[in-house]
Formats: sequence, C-alpha cells, structure tokens
Amino acid sequence: MPELRVVGQAPFRKRVTVFVGHFGSGKTEIALNYALNAAGQGAKVSLVDLDVVKPYFRSRAARAILDHAGIELIAPTGEHHHADLPILVPAIRDSFRDKSRRVILDCGGDDTGARALGAISDVVPEDESERILVLNFRRPFTQDAEEAERMIQGIAAVGRMGITGLISNTHLMRETTPEIVMEGYELARETAERTGIPLVAVTVDEGTAATLDGTRFEPPVMVLRRIVHPPFEQSQRTRTDGPLFVLN
Amino acid sequence: MAKKLMKGSEAIGEAAVQAGCKLFYGYPITPQNEIPEYMSHRLPQVGGTFVQAESEVSASNMLYGAAGSGERVMTSSSSPGISLMAEAISYMAGSELPAVIVNIMRAGPGLGGILPGQADYFQATKGGGHGDYHLLVLAPWSVQEAADLVQDGFDLADHYRNPVMILGDGLIGQMMEPVEFHQDRKPIKEPKEKTWAATGYDGSRPRAIINSLFLDPATLEKHNHKLQAKYAEMVRDEIRYKTYGTEKKYDLLIVAYGTVARVCSTAMEDLEAEEVRTAMIRPVSLYPFPYAAVRAAADKADAVLVVELSAGQMIEDVQLALQGTKPIHFHGRMGGMLASPEEVMEKVREIKSGKSQEVCHV
Repeated sequence: MPELRVVGQAPFRKRVTVFVGHFGSGKTEIALNYALNAAGQGAKVSLVDLDVVKPYFRSRAARAILDHAGIELIAPTGEHHHADLPILVPAIRDSFRDKSRRVILDCGGDDTGARALGAISDVVPEDESERILVLNFRRPFTQDAEEAERMIQGIAAVGRMGITGLISNTHLMRETTPEIVMEGYELARETAERTGIPLVAVTVDEGTAATLDGTRFEPPVMVLRRIVHPPFEQSQRTRTDGPLFVLN
Repeated sequence: MAKKLMKGSEAIGEAAVQAGCKLFYGYPITPQNEIPEYMSHRLPQVGGTFVQAESEVSASNMLYGAAGSGERVMTSSSSPGISLMAEAISYMAGSELPAVIVNIMRAGPGLGGILPGQADYFQATKGGGHGDYHLLVLAPWSVQEAADLVQDGFDLADHYRNPVMILGDGLIGQMMEPVEFHQDRKPIKEPKEKTWAATGYDGSRPRAIINSLFLDPATLEKHNHKLQAKYAEMVRDEIRYKTYGTEKKYDLLIVAYGTVARVCSTAMEDLEAEEVRTAMIRPVSLYPFPYAAVRAAADKADAVLVVELSAGQMIEDVQLALQGTKPIHFHGRMGGMLASPEEVMEKVREIKSGKSQEVCHV
C-alpha cells in the first residue's frame, strides 16, 4: 500500500488561517494539530480562541500543551477562561500586526460562532489570510452537499469574509472506517464543485490512516492526532501517547 | 439510519423527536443550550412547536399545561433552572402528568459555575419540589445511552403518568460520540389510551380535569395513597443498573453513576495491571435506587468506594443499601472540577493500604 502523503503545513499557505464551520465539525482539533505542527517546525505561532459558542472543549483548555510548545494562546484569562461570555480580548486585534507570526483563529460553530469573526473582520488581512471551512458530513445538520452549501453561505455572510478553502473532516471518532472517510470525501468534493471553493485537505486520524490508500485523494492528507479527549479517557496508558486535553 | 456524530444535547433532542415529542418549552442556560437550540430547529420540521419562555418558571408551567393535553412534552435546563421549575414539577406529579425533564447538571450551589457537577442528586431523587412525590430519575453515562433513556423516558412517563427526569452531568450535554437511532424501536411499555387528557369537552365522556388541589383531607390522603402505589410499582419494575467485573473475584466495589462511572472504568482497567481487584456497579435509575443490587455486589467485597462530583449525596443511598455491613469510602470533586482516573486509582490504593478514612455513619 502506498504511503499517505502526511502533510502538516502544505494545505495552509497564508500567514493567517481562520477555521470556521459547523458546530462540532472539528475546527478545534484541526487548529490545535496545525498549531502544534507549525510550532514543531520552528514557526512562531499565535492561536486565537474565538469560540464564543460552546462552553467546554475549546482550544483555550489546551493552554498547558500550547505553552509547552511555545505557542501563544490568545483567549480570555483568569476566571473568564471558563466563562461562556462573548469576550473578544483586545490582544486579538493586535495579533495580526506582527508579520513574523503565524496566526491561527479557531472560531465558534455555525454562523453564530462566525459572528465573532465578523466583529474583527476589519483587521483580518484579506490577502494574507485564508478562511478554511471544516466539513463533517456525519454531523446532523450537514448531511449532504446542499446543506453544506447553505452553511457556507451563512458563515461567510456573518463572518463578513469569503471562504477560501474546504477541509474534508468526516469521521465518527473511534468508530471511523475508511468507508466513512471516503463517503465524506466524495460529499466534500461535491460541495467544492457546487460552491467553486477548492478542497484543500482531507483529514484522517492516525488509526484510520494506516488502513487508507492515500493516493485515492486529490488534495493533501492531514493525519490528525486526537488531542481533544474527555477526562475519562485520560489514563496512564493514553498519557504515554502525548499531552491530553482535559477540562480541569 | 446511519450513525451520526452528535453532542449529548443534540442526541437528547433527536431522541425526543423520535419518541414523538411535539412540544418543547425552555429557557437558555449553559451547559444545555444546544437542547433548546436543536428543538427550535427540529420541532417545526415534524409539525411540533418550540417555545422559548421568559423564564424557567414559565417554561415549566407551560410544560404543565401542555402535558395536560396528552401530547408528549419536554423541557430541559441545568441546575439553577431546575430549581426554578420545582413548583411546576410538584404540580405535575400531583396532577399525574407525563413529561420528560432533562437536567444537565452544573456545579452549584446558587449560580455556581458552568462546568459539570452531580450535586443535584438529592434534588432529583428526594424531592426538589414540595409534597410526597417522586420523579423517575435516569442517569446516562454516554451519548448513546442518553438518547436511549430519553426515548424510554417518554414511554415510562406515559405509563406511570408521572414526570421522568433525565439526569446528566455537564459532560453528557457537551461531549460528542457516535449515536444510532433505530427506526423500528418498540415502546418499552404498552401505550395506553390517554382518557385523562384535557382535549376539549364534547359530552361523550366525563370532563377531564387536570388538578392537584384537593381541599378535602380524606380525598387528598386517598390521592396520596394512589401516588405512593405508583412509586411502589416503579420500585418493583423500573430498577436499572449495570455491573462491571462483578463476575470475577474482587476486593473493592466502586459505586458511581453518569460520566464519573467512565472515569472509574478507566481507573479499573489501569488497576487491573497493578493486580488490584475492583468491580463496579453503576446505578442507571437513581429513583428507584438499586438498593438490593448494590448490597449484593458489596457482599463480595471487603470495602466500597463511592465516587461523585459532589460532597457525597448518593452515598446516603449506598449507606441505606449496605446497612453498615461494609466500610464505605468516598472520593468527590466539586466546583466543576472533575475526578480523574489517577485520583480514583490513588484512592483505591489508599483503601487497600488502610490509609483511607471510612465515611462516618450518620
């Protein structure tokens, strides 16, 4: 079986990368993987947690992992770290000024979450940024290309920025099979065709990657390491796999 | 239907729709906002109605009124919101109305915080509202089980003409897992005709009156006896629990419910490598509580460990089950802090080595 093209940074080419998409589509997981990957390759990275929608499992909860990797996390601090309030810290607007840094924005889900992007869209450099929409067709409200297209239009309108690329991230967590990845990939291609927005990457988790034929995908493949774990999965065994992302 | 990746909150909403829930009344509160959000999107698709009330007090009283029509109705909230609903919940139990009430618990007391907790155990199982009533309380430990229990909850609510509470901690509402809905699901109770429902009077049957006010004491006492007979039937027929590793020999029995039981389950796997023999019993129905099963499982152990995200509430039911026959130890976290598998392992080691202090009997 040919080896997968394991690509870290290749799908993302701009200084600023914004991840948007449906609630629960995998933005945080991809943003964290990308940030850790880029930092590992020596880039100066800032990760902006723009999530004003969900109360748990936001990228700010990975503060310890990010600190360890030398990644600057821009998110509410102190007790506001745990708040579900629409807080946009001033440092977000400053983050785009230092042109030597790679800035990754992790938005909240849906058009509701993209509203935070809309609020700062005046300072996000249009030419130097890419706005990537994450698709998981196993999520309840994006089951086909038509629903995905509607969501893309909604997010672009509220975020006040056009979407420049799509990521196929269809999975069922531990129950993901190669068929589920392929089925999502086909739907993502159909969405790309309908909308004219290029499909820039396909993601697969480490486990599924071993069973997939990488040459079947046109775009680069990102092999994701699962970082967002619920606390009950944090055991001595999993700890050896790397840092874990838990609530407390 | 193909498996979907769903948040607990979404799965609870979809399960309600699949169970034929047509009416939802709610008021937002973290960490369960995705339930009303899902219902607001989904109910109009199936000819149902979603109402965002002006408070939990009104949402629960709308639920009370709508339940009187015999339609399948639901509300959801989180701890402080459930406190506000206590009056209507007691009225529903008193008026013998079926409804499903979801409590995605957060840390308290008061406004507390938005992170997970389990400190509403007393509120859910021992009262909450006034009067001699009980809710049938079911506690899921996974997103799939949350979906299944919601569907069962509607059948049970109709069967007993009593509110059913789905008691999940914050994680149940927020975590994502694969879920499957079976189109050919059969009701767990034979559906009964709702002759009691107030759907308009046309003279063809006696007036259906939804009421919990009985001014004549003898009548009210008789009504209470009728309710108590239903609770006795629940105690006889609706006890649910799961056991883990009880078929093997073990020294210590863990009692935990909800996602905390999953933390314990991870700890148990790791303890096995250390050759510490543990087993677990997980109450799924918190009312009725599986007293006999906990007692039977504890009989094989030297000691019992209760783990909860509270100062220790279920521990009182474990004490009632054991009647002082085994030493009970406790590990609890509060404030939205979660118990970790390491902490549970450490507590188990302390119990083994005699370093853990037994919980005092009350």
